[in-house]
Amino acid sequence: MTARILRRSIACIAGALLIGSVATVAAQSSTPAALSIAGDVRTPLSIAPAELKDMPRTAVEVKDEDGRVVKYEGVLVGELLKRAGATLGSDLRGTAMTTYVLASASDGYQVLFSLAELDPAFTNSHVIVADTIDGKPLFAYQGPLRIVSSNDLRPARSIRMLQRLDVVRLKKEP
Amino acid sequence: MSRTRPLAVVLLLAALASSRLPAQATYPWALPPGFPPPAIPADNPMTEAKVELGRHLFYDTRLSGNGTQSCGSCHEQARTFTDGRPRSVGSTGQAHPRGSMSLVNVAYARVLTWANPSLTRLEDQALVPMYGGHPIELGLDRSDRWLEAIAQDATYQRLFRAAFDDEQPVTRDNVVKAIATFERAIVSARSPYDRYHFERDETAISEAAKRGEVLFHSRPLSCFTCHGGIHFSSAMGTARPAMTVEFHNTGLYNLPGLLSYPSDNTGVFEFTRDPADVGKFKAPTLRNIAVTAPYMHDGSVVTLEEAIEHYAAGGRTIATGEYAGVGRDNPNKSATIRGFTLTPDQRADLIAFLQSLTDDGLLRDPRFGNPWPCQSHR
Repeated sequence: MTARILRRSIACIAGALLIGSVATVAAQSSTPAALSIAGDVRTPLSIAPAELKDMPRTAVEVKDEDGRVVKYEGVLVGELLKRAGATLGSDLRGTAMTTYVLASASDGYQVLFSLAELDPAFTNSHVIVADTIDGKPLFAYQGPLRIVSSNDLRPARSIRMLQRLDVVRLKKEP
Repeated sequence: MSRTRPLAVVLLLAALASSRLPAQATYPWALPPGFPPPAIPADNPMTEAKVELGRHLFYDTRLSGNGTQSCGSCHEQARTFTDGRPRSVGSTGQAHPRGSMSLVNVAYARVLTWANPSLTRLEDQALVPMYGGHPIELGLDRSDRWLEAIAQDATYQRLFRAAFDDEQPVTRDNVVKAIATFERAIVSARSPYDRYHFERDETAISEAAKRGEVLFHSRPLSCFTCHGGIHFSSAMGTARPAMTVEFHNTGLYNLPGLLSYPSDNTGVFEFTRDPADVGKFKAPTLRNIAVTAPYMHDGSVVTLEEAIEHYAAGGRTIATGEYAGVGRDNPNKSATIRGFTLTPDQRADLIAFLQSLTDDGLLRDPRFGNPWPCQSHR
């Protein structure tokens, strides 16, 4: 499908692409990175991990790759997008239905959700930005924030070391 | 009285029944909180008595045709049940094409050995070194005359009676069941990394090891893709079936001709004859990896530093000799082997993380040691 980005394109996508055959490893920062929410939203946000503690909390239980049931807790991605002014709820219709959310990690890994998948008005699937596992902070290789997509059968979209959420609306070329 | 008497009879009968059925006892895994116990075959339940019998058999050189080797000869506890050789050597001196694999957490292995997708039960695998002829490992005679000596040993008479209820318990079937049970008991879950991860002891591993853990789980290294989960092997764990295990060609060789790997070590191809499987091997556990050198299926990588260099280069280049070739260009090479560049500090961090996986207590635990102190195994 040929797609054209209608609104603001995302500079971070090109920035995250690895150029050349051998990739270098970025230096690791010791300060917890804030989560940026940008793109097709009214109010781009930068949310410090600690701010999630004061928001409505959601817990999900998932089986990890070793078959253990682990409990993640955090905030629905839809709640964070609502605070940034993304098109949600009764406004999520018509041309807005081609909106997606690109989630990016600090190591360049990226995954994609349709906006409707993240809107509690659309789905019972709980996709959260988690900051704890079994009541404890995430390990450095997981956090400080990660997405947990609780209904996915494979964990590939439960992106660790979450750094950005970019909201993008697409339109198919005629 | 009339109410309590039937209850007492029931309790007495239950006690008698349980004493005759040691196989029904619950095995004390003593794992850290959150560390799941392995799945155990219903026809060979875990018992302490069977583990103890299996330990004696595992280290007994009478289980080789010429009395020179036991299972423990190629699976030394101090080396996390490997043997330190590039390729193991059998009781008659024949070299095995591959190196001895670690047995730690083998109870969680979804497939066994380096490259056999269909070998999934330890009871079946034990028969390969015992009776196999290509190469000869323990070299036992299929007539099973060796069982007679076992049956006449007073220690074994006691151990077999405790482990099995059979009237004639000293059988080949029970021997492999006991050895498999002992092997399943060898669980490594008490490394410094485990204390950090499962007990949240922040002081258990160094800051360098914590940075190394992040590298391990991050792009572009993405080591976790093949060495993920609490066993650091995608071929281990109870959550997924054996058929989903992936085997990997890591670009160690790229020889001209149909077989890009040495002909005695073609990996999964040996079993499937599918050219796409040439050079594909299982990703072994990285638990205790610091004490299992040399590395890779043929021991051709000598140190951990060299192993990291191999992956950083996206494959190994051999400039001259019989195996000359650019492994990076192997047509079957896994897409996950892309290469990366690390600073010297980052390499040190990665090594520190891998070293934090060493479970020193397990390597000295007398429950897994040799009960026959007078025997030589080499």
